[in-house]
Amino acid sequence: MGGKPLYLEPRLESRLRSLLDSPDLLHTLSGALGSPLNLVVPDQLADNLEQFRSVYGKHHLSGQVFFAHKANRSSALLRRLAATDAGVDVASLGELQHALGAGFTPDRITATGPKNPEFLWLAARTSVTVSLDTRGELDQLAALVRKHALPRVRILLRLSGFEASGVRVLSRRSRFGTPVGELDPLLEAVERHADVVDPVGVAYHLDTTSLAEKATALEGCLRVLEECRSRGLRPRAVDIGGGFGVNYLTDGGQWERYTTELTEAVLGIRPPLTYGGHGYGLRSEAGTLRGTLGLYPAHRPVAGAHYLDELLSHPAASLGGRPLAAQLLEHLYDLQTEPGRALLDQCGLTLTKVLEVRDQETGGPSAVRLAAKADDVALEEHGVLMDPVVVPRSPARAATEPVAVHLFGSRCLESDLITRRTVFLPRRPEPGDLLAFANTAGYCMDFHATRAQHQPVARKIAVWQEGDTWRWCLDDQYWPTTPVGGAQ
Amino acid sequence: MRYDSITEAIGNTPLVRIDPAVHGLGRIDLYAKLELLNPFGSVKDRAAWNMARPHLTAAASATAEGAGQVVELSSGNTAKALAVLAGMHGLTFKSVTNRMRIPEIKDLLLLLGAEIEELPGQSECLDPTATDDPLTLFHRALSEPDSTLLHTDQYFNPRNTEAHFTGTGPEIVKDLDGRAPDWFIACVGTAGSSTGVARALREHDPAVRVVGLVAAKSDFIPGIRTIDEAHEVGLFDPGTYDTIESVSADEAIEGMLTLNRRCGILAGPTGGAAYFGAVRQLRALDENLTERQSAVFIVCDRVESYLSYVRHRRPDLFGRPRRRNSPADLSDAEIRTAPAITVADAQAWIGTGEPLVVDLRSPYAYAALHIDGSVNIVDELFEELLHGGLPFSRNRPVLLACPVGEKSARYAALLTRMGHPEVRSLTGGIIAWRDAGAPLVRD
Repeated sequence: MGGKPLYLEPRLESRLRSLLDSPDLLHTLSGALGSPLNLVVPDQLADNLEQFRSVYGKHHLSGQVFFAHKANRSSALLRRLAATDAGVDVASLGELQHALGAGFTPDRITATGPKNPEFLWLAARTSVTVSLDTRGELDQLAALVRKHALPRVRILLRLSGFEASGVRVLSRRSRFGTPVGELDPLLEAVERHADVVDPVGVAYHLDTTSLAEKATALEGCLRVLEECRSRGLRPRAVDIGGGFGVNYLTDGGQWERYTTELTEAVLGIRPPLTYGGHGYGLRSEAGTLRGTLGLYPAHRPVAGAHYLDELLSHPAASLGGRPLAAQLLEHLYDLQTEPGRALLDQCGLTLTKVLEVRDQETGGPSAVRLAAKADDVALEEHGVLMDPVVVPRSPARAATEPVAVHLFGSRCLESDLITRRTVFLPRRPEPGDLLAFANTAGYCMDFHATRAQHQPVARKIAVWQEGDTWRWCLDDQYWPTTPVGGAQ
Repeated sequence: MRYDSITEAIGNTPLVRIDPAVHGLGRIDLYAKLELLNPFGSVKDRAAWNMARPHLTAAASATAEGAGQVVELSSGNTAKALAVLAGMHGLTFKSVTNRMRIPEIKDLLLLLGAEIEELPGQSECLDPTATDDPLTLFHRALSEPDSTLLHTDQYFNPRNTEAHFTGTGPEIVKDLDGRAPDWFIACVGTAGSSTGVARALREHDPAVRVVGLVAAKSDFIPGIRTIDEAHEVGLFDPGTYDTIESVSADEAIEGMLTLNRRCGILAGPTGGAAYFGAVRQLRALDENLTERQSAVFIVCDRVESYLSYVRHRRPDLFGRPRRRNSPADLSDAEIRTAPAITVADAQAWIGTGEPLVVDLRSPYAYAALHIDGSVNIVDELFEELLHGGLPFSRNRPVLLACPVGEKSARYAALLTRMGHPEVRSLTGGIIAWRDAGAPLVRD
C-alpha cells in the first residue's frame, strides 16, 4: 500500500456515532430504501441552534438566527427548526413556500438572493423581511407593493465593497449587494419609498474564512447605520450572513500530515495520493510548488458558534478598538446571522452500498464501485476531504489490514469519482457493505444531486432517538409531533 | 565610522559568542550572527538592498514622471527594508500579502509610507474552478506591457541568496579567523540567508553541517515557514540542509527570552527559534565530542515589533501589579446587590434634575443615541479615573447606564465600596430604556 495509511477520520458527535454503531439498522434501511440514502437528524439542529444562542447570550446580544435553507431541502429539518424560536433565510419562491408551510411565521423569515416577481410578491404579501441587493430591486419591490396595494415591507439593505482604513484588503468581488460607495442614491431611494418600505437594518455576506475581512464589513455596516440614523431613519439590525464553517475532521494531526504528503506527492517526492495525479490546485514547476490548494480547511479548530464568538470578540479598529459585540450592543443593534452549513453540523449522513471491489493487477489502490453518483455525495464538490466509515454487512467477518482504494460512482462516465483522492480504509470493504459518509447535511446531500442517466437521487429519512432506540420516518412524513406520537 | 549613505551600514554585523553558562554546551562554541544590527533592523536589509539596487539605480537615472513602484510579497522585514530603500530613491513601495499578522509591523510599514494590500481569506463556499485568485491577478498585473511595477521577487530572486553568499557567509568565516564553523543553523523564510550562507561556508569547508529550521505546521512564527510553505519558495532546495527540524512558537519564545534576558541580545521570535533549535540540535552531540567545535546561528531581527505576538501567547510575561479600586476586585455578591433602579423610577428621578447620568458606552454609540442630559465617560476611561479615587463629589447622586445594565452594576458596586452614598445602576441598561419607549436623543 506504500507507507502508513493516511486517514482523514470524520468528527462524529454522539448521535452520528450512535447511528454508525447500529449496523443492523443501517443495513435494514438501505436494504428497504435503496442506495444512496440520506439520513437527517432533526434534534441535532436544535442543539446547534442553542450553541449559537449561547454566544448571543455571552455577548448580551439580541437578534435572530436565520437558518440558510439552501443548505438542505429537508422538510424534517425545517419543521424541527420551526418548533424552536429560530428564523429561516429563504432564497427562492419554493423555499419561501416550504418555510411558510413548515410553520414559520413571516416575522421569522428573511428573503434573500436573486428574486423573481412571484418570489417578491409572496414575500411582500406575507410580510416577510426582504433583503435587497440593488437599488433596482428596491424600485421593483416598491412598484409591486403600490400596484398590488400590499402592506409596507420590512427591508434589509445588503451592502458590499467595504473599505478598510490604512490597508487595502483585496476581497473577492461579490455579485450581491450594493457597493458602500453608492450608498447615498440608495438611501435617497429608501426615503422616496418610505410609504411602502421600512428599512429595519443592513446586511452583508462575505464568502471568506477571514475574520479580519468580516470585521471590516461589520464596521462598515455600523458606519452606514449611523448614516441612516442621521437621516432620521431608525434601522436596528445588522445581518452578517453566514460562513461560520464546520470542523469535519476529528484529528488535526491527520489533516496536517495528509496535506504535507499531498504537497510531496505533487512535487514527486512520494507516490501519488490521487487518481491520475490530481493536485487539488497544486502543481510542480521545476521542483517548486505552485498554485493554491483548493480544499476546504476540513480541520477547523474554530468553527460554527465558536467562529461567531471570535468574530464578535474582534476589535473594531476604526471605532476605538472595542470589540464588535460591544459596538453592536452599545449602538443598541440586533445581530442577525444566517448560518447554513454550521447549523447543520452533525445533522446527517449519506449511506452508499458497495457494488464491486476490484484489485488492480499493478498493485495500486483497489477500485471500489458504489451504488451512488459523485453528485449524491457532494463533499468533493465542496473541497471537503473526509473518509467514509465502513459498515460491514456481516459484523462477524474478520477484520483485515488497512487498504487504499479509489471510490468510483455508478454513472457510465470516466470522471464519476466520489473523490479523486486515494482513500485509506481501516478494513477492506466487500460487496454488500455500506460506506457511510458522515456530516453531509450541509450542502453535500441534495444541493448537487441529479437524475442523470435515469439514476435515482437518494431518498431522505429523518431519524431520532427514543430512549436507546433509533426511530425513523420518511423526511416529508416528519412533523415535530411525530417523535412524541412514535408514528412510523 | 563615517558613511555617505545609510545603505553603506548594511552588513558587517558582529558575531557574538554566547556564554556557555547560558547554553550549557561544554565543547561547542556557539556564536550568534547579529543581523538585527542592520540599519533597518533585520537580515532582510542585505537581500532587499541587493535585489532592489539595480531597479533603483535604473529608476533614478530614468527621467521623472513617477518613476514607478517597488512591489513585493512580504509580510515583514523585507517590506520594511524595501519601503525605506524605495523612499530614499523617490519611489513608492507596495506590499501584497496574506501573512501580515503582526500589527506593529503593519503600522510601521504604513508609517514608512508603504501601501499594503491584503489577500482575502479562503473562500467558505469553495469554487474549485475559480481562476481569479488575487495572487494570479497580481502576477498578471506585473506582466502587463506598460507596467511600472518593479517586482523584487524575494522567493525566486537569486540576488537574495547572493547577498548572503557574498556578504553574510564570508563575514562569518572572517570572524572565525578564516575557518568555517562546524555547524550552521538558520530558520527558513525565503531560504535566501540559509542557502547563501551555507553555500559560502561549504565552499570554504565542505564538511559544514547545515540545520534548517521550519515552523511546526499548526504554529505561526513570524518570518519562518512551515515545511509545506517552504516548498512554495523557489530558492528553497531541501538538499541545502543536512537536516530540517521544526520549532514550535512556544519554543521560539522560550529561546527569545533566553537571548533577551541572559545574553543582552534583543532578538525577536525568529532569532529565538534559531537559538532554541541550535541548542537542541547540539546538546545531544556535545557530550560525545572529543575536540572543540563551533556553531553559528542567525539572529534575524529585534523583539520590539513582536510585543503583541508575545502578549497573545504568553500573557504571563506581562503581569502587571494590581491596582486599587478595580472592578475586577469585586465579589459576585457585591455586584448582585449593587444599588439599581428601574427605567420608570429612573425617569422620575432624572425628572427631579438631581442625578448626574453617566453613559459608559463608546463615544460613537453615545453620539448616535443617548439619554438627554447625560455625560459620556467610556468605561475604560471611567475605570482609569476610579483608580485615582472618586471622580465626583459624594453629595452628587449618580445614575450609571450601559447597554444592558451589567457594567453599570459593576461600577455602581465599586463606587458604593469607595464610599459614594447615592449611586444607582440603570437596570436593563439603555436597551431596556429604549424598549420601554423612554426618549433617546442625538445632539
